[in-house]
Amino acid sequence: MKETVNITINGKAYEVQAGQTLMQAADVCGYHIPRLCYHPDLSIEGACRVCIVEVAGMKNYVASCAYPVTEGMVVTTNSTAIRRARRDIVELLVDNHPQDCHTCERDSNCELQRLAFAMGIRKRHFEGERKTFEQDLSSPSVVRDPEKCILCGRCVRMCEEIQGIHALGYANRGFNTVVMPAYNMPFGESVCSQCGQCINVCPTAAFTEHNDTQALFETLNDPALIKVVHIAPAVRAAIGESFGLEPGQNMEHQTAAALRRLGFDYVFDTQFAADLTIMEEGSEFLERLQGRGKLPMITSCCPGWINALETFHPDFMDHVSSCKSPMSMMSNVIKTHFAEKADIDPARLFVVSVMPCTAKKSEAVRPEHTLHGRRSTDLVITTRELAWMIKSAGIDFIHLEGEPFDKPLGLSSGAAPIFGVTGGVMEAAVRTAYELYTGETLIDIELEAIRGFKGIKEASLNIDGITVNVAVAHGLGNGARLLDILRKAPDRYHFVEIMACPGGCVGGGGQPYPTVNSIPLDEGCLQQRADALYGMDRGNTIRRSHDNPEVQRLYKECLGRPLGEKSHELLHTRYAQKSPQGIVSRKLTQ
Amino acid sequence: MAIPFYLRLKQERDVANALEVIRKKRAEAVGRIVSKGFLSSKRVYVGMATCEMAAGSKAVMTVFREAVTRGGLTDVFLSQKGCAGRCNLEPTVEVVEVGKLPVRYGKIDPARAQEIVDRHLKNGQVISEWVID
Amino acid sequence: MQQGMRHLSTLLDEQLERHGLKDRVKINVSGCLGMCHKGPIMVVNPGYTLYGGLEEPDVAQIVREHLIQGRPIARLVIEEDHLFNRFFRIFGDVNFFGKQMRIALRNCGIIDPENIDDYLALRGYEALAKALTDMTPQQVIDELKTSGLRGRGGAGFPTGLKWQITADQVSGEKYVICNADEGDPGAFMDRSAIEGDPHTVLEGMMIGGYAVGAAQGIVYIRAEYPLAIERLERAMAQARDHGLLGDHILGTDFCFELEIRLGAGAFVCGEETALIQSIEGARGMPRPRPPYPSVSGLFGKPTLINNVETWANIPVVIVDGGQWFSSIGTEKSQGTKVFALAGKVVNTGLIEVPMGTTLREIIYDIGGGIPHGKAFKAVQTGGPSGGCLPADYLDTPVDYESLAQAGSIMGSGGMIVIDEDSCMVDIAKFFLEFTQSESCGKCTPCREGTKRMFEILTRISDGRGQAGDIEKLERLGDMIKKSSLCGLGQSAPNPVLSTIKNFREEYEEHIRDHTCRAKVCPSLIAYAINDACVGCGACKRGCPVNVISGRTKQKHTIDQTQCVRCGLCLATCKYDAIDKV
Repeated sequence: MKETVNITINGKAYEVQAGQTLMQAADVCGYHIPRLCYHPDLSIEGACRVCIVEVAGMKNYVASCAYPVTEGMVVTTNSTAIRRARRDIVELLVDNHPQDCHTCERDSNCELQRLAFAMGIRKRHFEGERKTFEQDLSSPSVVRDPEKCILCGRCVRMCEEIQGIHALGYANRGFNTVVMPAYNMPFGESVCSQCGQCINVCPTAAFTEHNDTQALFETLNDPALIKVVHIAPAVRAAIGESFGLEPGQNMEHQTAAALRRLGFDYVFDTQFAADLTIMEEGSEFLERLQGRGKLPMITSCCPGWINALETFHPDFMDHVSSCKSPMSMMSNVIKTHFAEKADIDPARLFVVSVMPCTAKKSEAVRPEHTLHGRRSTDLVITTRELAWMIKSAGIDFIHLEGEPFDKPLGLSSGAAPIFGVTGGVMEAAVRTAYELYTGETLIDIELEAIRGFKGIKEASLNIDGITVNVAVAHGLGNGARLLDILRKAPDRYHFVEIMACPGGCVGGGGQPYPTVNSIPLDEGCLQQRADALYGMDRGNTIRRSHDNPEVQRLYKECLGRPLGEKSHELLHTRYAQKSPQGIVSRKLTQ
Repeated sequence: MAIPFYLRLKQERDVANALEVIRKKRAEAVGRIVSKGFLSSKRVYVGMATCEMAAGSKAVMTVFREAVTRGGLTDVFLSQKGCAGRCNLEPTVEVVEVGKLPVRYGKIDPARAQEIVDRHLKNGQVISEWVID
Repeated sequence: MQQGMRHLSTLLDEQLERHGLKDRVKINVSGCLGMCHKGPIMVVNPGYTLYGGLEEPDVAQIVREHLIQGRPIARLVIEEDHLFNRFFRIFGDVNFFGKQMRIALRNCGIIDPENIDDYLALRGYEALAKALTDMTPQQVIDELKTSGLRGRGGAGFPTGLKWQITADQVSGEKYVICNADEGDPGAFMDRSAIEGDPHTVLEGMMIGGYAVGAAQGIVYIRAEYPLAIERLERAMAQARDHGLLGDHILGTDFCFELEIRLGAGAFVCGEETALIQSIEGARGMPRPRPPYPSVSGLFGKPTLINNVETWANIPVVIVDGGQWFSSIGTEKSQGTKVFALAGKVVNTGLIEVPMGTTLREIIYDIGGGIPHGKAFKAVQTGGPSGGCLPADYLDTPVDYESLAQAGSIMGSGGMIVIDEDSCMVDIAKFFLEFTQSESCGKCTPCREGTKRMFEILTRISDGRGQAGDIEKLERLGDMIKKSSLCGLGQSAPNPVLSTIKNFREEYEEHIRDHTCRAKVCPSLIAYAINDACVGCGACKRGCPVNVISGRTKQKHTIDQTQCVRCGLCLATCKYDAIDKV
């Protein structure tokens, strides 16, 4: 096949790579054809018809996202006729959309709004009936608002092709078409894993997180409570984007300063509990490696993955580490050890966590994560919600002088921030497990083989003569594929990390919406966020979790030893099969 | 990739001559039709497609079947057929008599069917007002 | 015709006149019988004798000897062995069938569809045997290319080319699909074909499987056709018993399996990519093409998909030859086409005519014209996505190009005749209501656009139309046609655009004058009692909203402010005393 083809776009000749779509070729030539349902990571839907162009010799317009370039093709992207057709198509979407931009969560961050502006829709010609739907508030994590849905299908494809969950599908026909879970069951009762990727890819506000900001503002004004907050690693690497900064700026100190200004009494770092997790999980792995428990062991930090485990893969429940996630460990330590040390009645403590994640909201309400009859984590907000609160409270985030986290739960090793990127938990665990097992310090601690955004990554390590095979998957679809490998070859790996979101927590369902010139889950953006986390690791003098002096002190003063009695009470949990059981989608992207 | 069957077909072994097989089958089929009474002096065909049934052809068929099995109607070959396309005239019934023109009746109900049995099939009298032309 | 048919017909007429037989013998001037090489031909009944190569003196001899003395003339008889002949010989003397030519429906209404013997007796499965014995797969495809057969599902893609593309794909697995998901309202071509002659479809599919190298066939048929499904299943079982389906068909190395899949009634599943999605277990929604199913279809494998009528033509093409087939029809549209003739026409029914037959011949000669002496207004071809053609277009020959040029489509073969009692706005609204509710909802123009068009049409017919509405319909219609993802959307505006083009003044009257000339749109008409009223009170008693008043034996009146225009009074009155105004 020929390598290149000659095409004409808007009267100018170009030589472009063969085998591309028209849209890809036009992108290279500097024509950004408007688009909506298209996403490079998802299958070609051809549904919105916004990217139509004229091709000479064709009776109809052509969707440039789906049509391959051929030799001699003559394309017009901006004729009067095509501009009018495209404008009318977008108007049809707007006409059937609640025109409530002022009160919408995605005002100024909505692709439909931008598109309507770019098309020059100043007057509407085809107004008529508008669809009406109730919001589905049944999920603690994700709110579904079909009234705002423009049926681009990105959520459906994301859920089906990348996550393999297939919790969403189309129902009804024509004007009544709607995206919903099977049988229109409440979203919270469906097979949804609450990962929030539907929110990430939604161009409008048809999917949003369950918004807890109003409740939090009210709590912050309650003088009877002592407000404690801790923030997850990936939050600090992304929150700057909400304030117009380039992705990948570490904003941990500005965030701490802002949280204090919002009214929190103590600002801690979830990364402390990441180190704690490694102590427990690393020890658990060594136990299993020595024949006490099933191998491979699979990580348990990610609540989206845990939801998927219980719904889709209950056959692997015994393989998953019994460790709670860093968030729940952190909250428990705050409400026990810290409360005791600071002489605070735990009943007065209100613990909030800031997460890049929507599924954490569902984790926080699980009955296992309670302490003295109350939730361990009283409230979870996402990166997006925190950014909004900071803006809403009038805090000048960009120009804030950075402030450190509070002691003692603000200190972490370099192994903790990398929890926020795929492969990071594994890397951190290996650093510690190696030393716990061999008594020697691992020199080459940066495990390149399990970094990066390849779907399934593998590595082999030699721990004192034993070859330990590890594997890492990010995105629930890749996770399901990895489990399928394990079903066929149960002995292939010893240790497996699964994160629900593409890229790990940096690509979490609670992370900031893309800026004007970006797209959701842009790999470059995810890489910049990840680089910020790796930078924090490299900049830290302590790079192994077990070297964190505050963690060591916690064991001395309170927990005793990893996997000890107290640890089991506070830091470990159990899993139960959920119904309805899910079936992994057959249409997973390879 | 497996060799497509049609390449195997020509190369690997002598295949039966399908045309000869089908001609034999046709002869057998004709034999079976004849043995069922096709050569009776009268043949009656009742339209039995969904549309015909909706118009009532099942009841019409029952009348003819009763007549053949119990009503003493002999030397008659009764069969069903698909829709010939006369929607507005259904149910249709065709009577073929050896040596005569076939007669096609339209809009036949059980009462008319009984009359066809009595007048046409038993007494050779064509009921011209129901004939389709 | 070219060979002097008209002349012969005049001669025959004279001869009959001379012998005083004019009242007793009927002359049908038939369409092409596909036997052009035999010169002028004539079929004489009684006896269904086919005469060919006729010259002038022969006519007198036929009248003298055959018609009067009852002695057929052996010298002139031609024995043609075409598969379709039998239907013609049986039904050729009936007006309705005289202009028809049955290839796809050749056995419908003749054989017992539940008995394979009937099919075998009429040279059934001979085409398959011929292909397996005498032809390579490429020869089968070449024969199809020679025939000029085009897809009968509506788009008219050359069937031979489609088969060639599928055959050219290198793949260990291929599929053959029969699209029997007939969804056009009022269309029943596929149902009748399968119910009347299921084996021809099976035979066609097996030949297709042989030609493209597929061993698995699937019939996708709508669940609403239980009898057709039952007969297909019976046919498959019988074919299997006779070694005509399964392993080593007819003792050869050709193996072919068939499976029936039921559609759940979504109109859009008649679109090939949506149909494939449906078979795969997904929601039936079209996907962008290319890739076409011939390259990447069912489960990503090359898939040959044709509709019922196309498959039913295949055995005839193989047995009688592509050359013969291509002699029927027009230059670019060969063969015949099945239509479901319905609406305001005397003979409604299922017909099959040679391509190139004019709309006038179909409506007046076969259909018997418009009932009750009403005037013809329009004919709608191609189902809900077709266009409405007015009287000016009656002489349009029915073929893919001519219909498209006239602003309609061939479609799968719906043909609805409309008389002066129908309102064209109402007709357009009717079809659009169907397509907009059957839109799969995937692409914006079809999902949102047809809904808006329907809303505009509704307000026009309610008398709430606004200046500029017609232009909005045209603007939306044009955009939807050119921008939609699949054929459903691309053709959905046709009924609206064609009625605007041909009956624009009716739209304008609705909007400007608030009148409906056909007196159909309820909001634009009123019922009034005229002087013929005898005061019987029947209308008053029947009125559901009690708005008719008047003393017994005196003229009654209707309170127009409260009348809901249900029309019950008009239906009740025995004295023609109620008018629609």
